[in-house]
Amino acid sequence: MSSKTDFLTRIRTEMAKTRGLFAASSAERPAQPAQRLDLLRRELSERWPQTLERFRAEFELVAGVFHRVATAAEVPAALERICRERHARKLVAWPAEDLGVAIAPALAGAGIAVESMPRAAVADTERRRLRGVIADADLGVTGADLAVAETGTLVLVSAAGRPRSTSLLPPCHVAVFDREALVESLEHLGLALEAWHEGVPPAERGAVINFITGPSRTADIELTLTRGVHGPKEIHAIFVDGGLSRHG
Amino acid sequence: MTEPIVSTPLRERATKALGDRFLHEALDIATTKFIALRREAFGNFPEGEHLRDRARAIKEATLQRLDTHLETLVANVERLGGHVHFATTAEEARDVIVDIARRTGARMAVKSKSMATEEIHLNEALQAIGVTPVETDLGEYIIQLAHERPSHIIAPAIHKTKGQVAELFSRELKRPGLPADPEVLTKIAREELREKFLQADLGITGANFAVADTGTVVLVTNEGNGRMATSLPRVHVAVMGVEKIIPSMTDLAVFLAILAKSATGQKLSVYTTLVQGPRRPGELEGPDEFHLVLLDNGRIAQLAGTLRESLYCLRCGACLNVCPVYRQIGGHAYGYTYPGPIGILLTAMLNGPRSVKDLSHASSLCGACADACPVRIDIPRMLVELRREVDDKGIAPWTERVVFKTFARVLRSPRLYRWGARIGRTAQRPFVRGGRIRALPFFFGAWTRTRDLPPVAARTFQERWREL
Repeated sequence: MSSKTDFLTRIRTEMAKTRGLFAASSAERPAQPAQRLDLLRRELSERWPQTLERFRAEFELVAGVFHRVATAAEVPAALERICRERHARKLVAWPAEDLGVAIAPALAGAGIAVESMPRAAVADTERRRLRGVIADADLGVTGADLAVAETGTLVLVSAAGRPRSTSLLPPCHVAVFDREALVESLEHLGLALEAWHEGVPPAERGAVINFITGPSRTADIELTLTRGVHGPKEIHAIFVDGGLSRHG
Repeated sequence: MTEPIVSTPLRERATKALGDRFLHEALDIATTKFIALRREAFGNFPEGEHLRDRARAIKEATLQRLDTHLETLVANVERLGGHVHFATTAEEARDVIVDIARRTGARMAVKSKSMATEEIHLNEALQAIGVTPVETDLGEYIIQLAHERPSHIIAPAIHKTKGQVAELFSRELKRPGLPADPEVLTKIAREELREKFLQADLGITGANFAVADTGTVVLVTNEGNGRMATSLPRVHVAVMGVEKIIPSMTDLAVFLAILAKSATGQKLSVYTTLVQGPRRPGELEGPDEFHLVLLDNGRIAQLAGTLRESLYCLRCGACLNVCPVYRQIGGHAYGYTYPGPIGILLTAMLNGPRSVKDLSHASSLCGACADACPVRIDIPRMLVELRREVDDKGIAPWTERVVFKTFARVLRSPRLYRWGARIGRTAQRPFVRGGRIRALPFFFGAWTRTRDLPPVAARTFQERWREL
């Protein structure tokens, strides 16, 4: 194996040969991304209905199913409808603190079992059991850290209590979100990512951030579009007008 | 160095491809569809042209400070708990991964689609130590079961019919009588591969980008196999050419806005996965170990080489779809890992100019590739430079070099030119058929085997000019 020093030395030797040959054109990062993101959010609060409308249109274009409820208290009923239409009985979900709404008690009343993901570290045997539970679930319920209107994209940051496979292994994924998550464009998404990484110690950043734009798809056999190849076949988003509660 | 995949000459491979009627039709349908989707995506995206310029500028600026960005990336990946490895050659990259597999006692590796691992022929090396590599992108899975090679960068099984896939799955997966229905076949692949994902010890991926500022490796997939491979196995290894580094998340947003539009016409691919080190404490899933293998394999030498601009390539496949040569012969005929116009340049980068002695001529230099390229790589210019290099280094056959040297002398001297035209007019007579010269004798035949020549006109322009 080569060493880092060898590698860098060779790169520098080659770079030295090109000095002055190419016009310099450096890329710019935004200064103070957190403040800019705040400003952007405040601007957006004036026109969020248009942004939400654009999100809905784009989300539906990529085969997402959009739902809208007035208050967080109506989320369990919306989930129950989705479950009933699909004969789904087994749910895995982010815990109420991460979701911003408690869904388990209401759904249990309707005969739908919800397994909430643990927020604290668990033993390996429990980890293996939970993987089996997620793989076997009919439906995965998550929140969304951002919803990008330009592309109909949901952004999910992984953490304890927010396992990656909740939105991946079950055949149907439902994300619950509110106004706070809305941003207009990929450019704003870039800004949000800059802000998230600024000043946050690496250990506290999510190990994985997923941008999800529609259900899993492939066109590898004769270019025939087919959904649900490895990930979910269906994706739903429930928008809560009255907002979700935030614990962080 | 990467060895060629086939040893027959380009001429034979191309002739074989041209004779394959299904391949022809499949290529035509697929490339036409991709072209239309790309055009529509950019048509509805007026800021696209500006973003393409910006993306190109970011690539160039990054190369100018590649050492600094690389150091930043390495420091950040390590700070997040990941390990970084440096591989100068394909062999070194294979050794690094084989060592990881051995040390962690891996038995099975699930692979998300990656041109870099194709380039280093990783699967053979894993098999040699008893690790089963499983390709999980549906197209790649089909190709692996059929023991073939990808024919398109983003649609690897473009050359197979659904009937062939049904037959293949029925035989290889011991599920007789499967229908030629993509929906059913995709479901079968889901079931088979779901088991593999849950069993595998090793997840191996490429990387579309690596963000230096944050130590983030970015994977773009539509199927979700990139997410599976980075979430379920206990070890994740990402293999990436050094040129994939970009400085910041702001830059990432620029590239994402044009990548999927160029490749499949989507606004964004279904899954963009940002990997930042191994599983955090308290997280339920994710690998215990994360390794990033940085690959040179001929790239670094091109920082100051004629092929520098090809280091901008995003591997979107747009240049393949618009190339009149690719559309006729498909990916296999190129004979190496990377097909199409950019593939010729990448082949030269990885294997040296000798490897593209014939391939550098497999282009009409029409420029469609440069127009389609999201970062506007001037592919035709570099193809011409490669042709010159093939000539200068004496790689081209001596007969070809003598003929072209003579031709150049004749063109430079008006008297020789007139004289040559007169001789040519007489000498060509036995060979003109239907207004074209289709076959020449002796070593000249090598030229006309794949090209028709226009004959010398009965009266030259100069002769006609004098009579005006």
